[in-house]
Amino acid sequence: MSNNAATIELLYKMADDQLILGHRNSEWTGFGPILEEDIAFSSMAQDKIGHSLALYTILEQLGERAPDTVAFTRKANQFHNCILTELPNGEYDFSLIRHFLFDTAEALRFELLKNSSFEPLAQVARKVRGELRYHTLHANTWIKQLGVATEESVSRLQGSLNVAIPYALGIFEESPFEKELITSGIFAGEHELKALWINKVEEVIGETNLQLPDWKLQTPILGGRIGKHSEYLQLLLDEMSEVFNIDPTAEW
Amino acid sequence: MNSLDPRVIRLPDIGEVGRINPKPALDQFGTYEVFVLPKEGKPFQHEGIVHAPNLEMAYVLAKETFTRRFTCASLYVVNTLDVFVSPLSEGNQNVYDQIPQILNQNSAKVNYEIYHLPKRGKQHVHVGRVSASSPEEAFSIAKEQFQKEKIVYNVWVIQSTAIRYTMNEEKDLWLTLPEKKFRDAAEYKGGEKLKEFLKKSKR
Repeated sequence: MSNNAATIELLYKMADDQLILGHRNSEWTGFGPILEEDIAFSSMAQDKIGHSLALYTILEQLGERAPDTVAFTRKANQFHNCILTELPNGEYDFSLIRHFLFDTAEALRFELLKNSSFEPLAQVARKVRGELRYHTLHANTWIKQLGVATEESVSRLQGSLNVAIPYALGIFEESPFEKELITSGIFAGEHELKALWINKVEEVIGETNLQLPDWKLQTPILGGRIGKHSEYLQLLLDEMSEVFNIDPTAEW
Repeated sequence: MNSLDPRVIRLPDIGEVGRINPKPALDQFGTYEVFVLPKEGKPFQHEGIVHAPNLEMAYVLAKETFTRRFTCASLYVVNTLDVFVSPLSEGNQNVYDQIPQILNQNSAKVNYEIYHLPKRGKQHVHVGRVSASSPEEAFSIAKEQFQKEKIVYNVWVIQSTAIRYTMNEEKDLWLTLPEKKFRDAAEYKGGEKLKEFLKKSKR
């Protein structure tokens, strides 16, 4: 298959996004603002890990190493997640904004992939639709409500939004295979995805008292897709793979 | 803070050691009642309660709190304050015997949903809808329409417009894996794993 390298690159960045953000979001388990939100956020984190497993499994079928090996033994510079997903949680406002910005892109990405010419990926895209529907409902509801609630909630979200936007634009860092992916019908490409994402983000934020920056004045923070990460990723990986590194055969 | 959990170490410092700050009064959200449709064709049943700042948020939180594990076809929520509750009956007494018959009132009518408690300690189950001009009249009409031989221990009445239903286009929220048993504590055979581990370490 001639498009193998392009497909593998696409799958790795998607799977790594899901794994790293899934892990980050799971750090809230037991610390969420209220019990019900703790459950919902943890459950969505678990969904994300599940999505990463589905994608790593396709990669294994394409000749890559087993999902656990890929997840737990690579170094930071071998990961292809965007930097947005690895940033520390900070306070809940940042996690919510990241959840909103990332999951909006993720839902749109899978929507585009539903009819991918690469059938295994199209299947996963159709399978995760219900879960993503909830993730975006959850994110949009919180943002729309806190975005008009109190002076504190609006200013906290605005602060986090200002920090997160340049990183969020890094989601759409183009791969060397954009043309190939588009012409072979595997994926419509980062450029198209970004345009859809901007529309959707503007629509939701437009219903709040939050302000979006001028997109033209924003410099995307890139590098994640080629393994150039912030200092936070290796720390996350060390923590995530602690048990695996003590005993790679451990089962629990 | 000292902990083996790195996430605890990362928490911001709150308050001073040894000093307990009293919570402000009424710092809790109100409660919302959650009803779940486990399968198409079955009735909605009361599943539990969520805390939430408002009805829409209650819907969002209820979905994951109550339907993340097992099959579900639909869900709705209502503010606890919008649930009218009959008296509880004693022993084998049918609660409908305690509900007074009210003469048909001729003012504007709205829809009310009716729920029965068919077994003590179980959930309330949706039995149908009546049109009435007050909750009291709704109880009375329910008595005429839904009182059968079987004992009903408690009745709930909720005005239909107070309910946040699942809209048709939202039903694909549950188009996921049908059952997520891995999310069920009982599916995690911790005891067996421990036994196996102890056996291994004896050898």
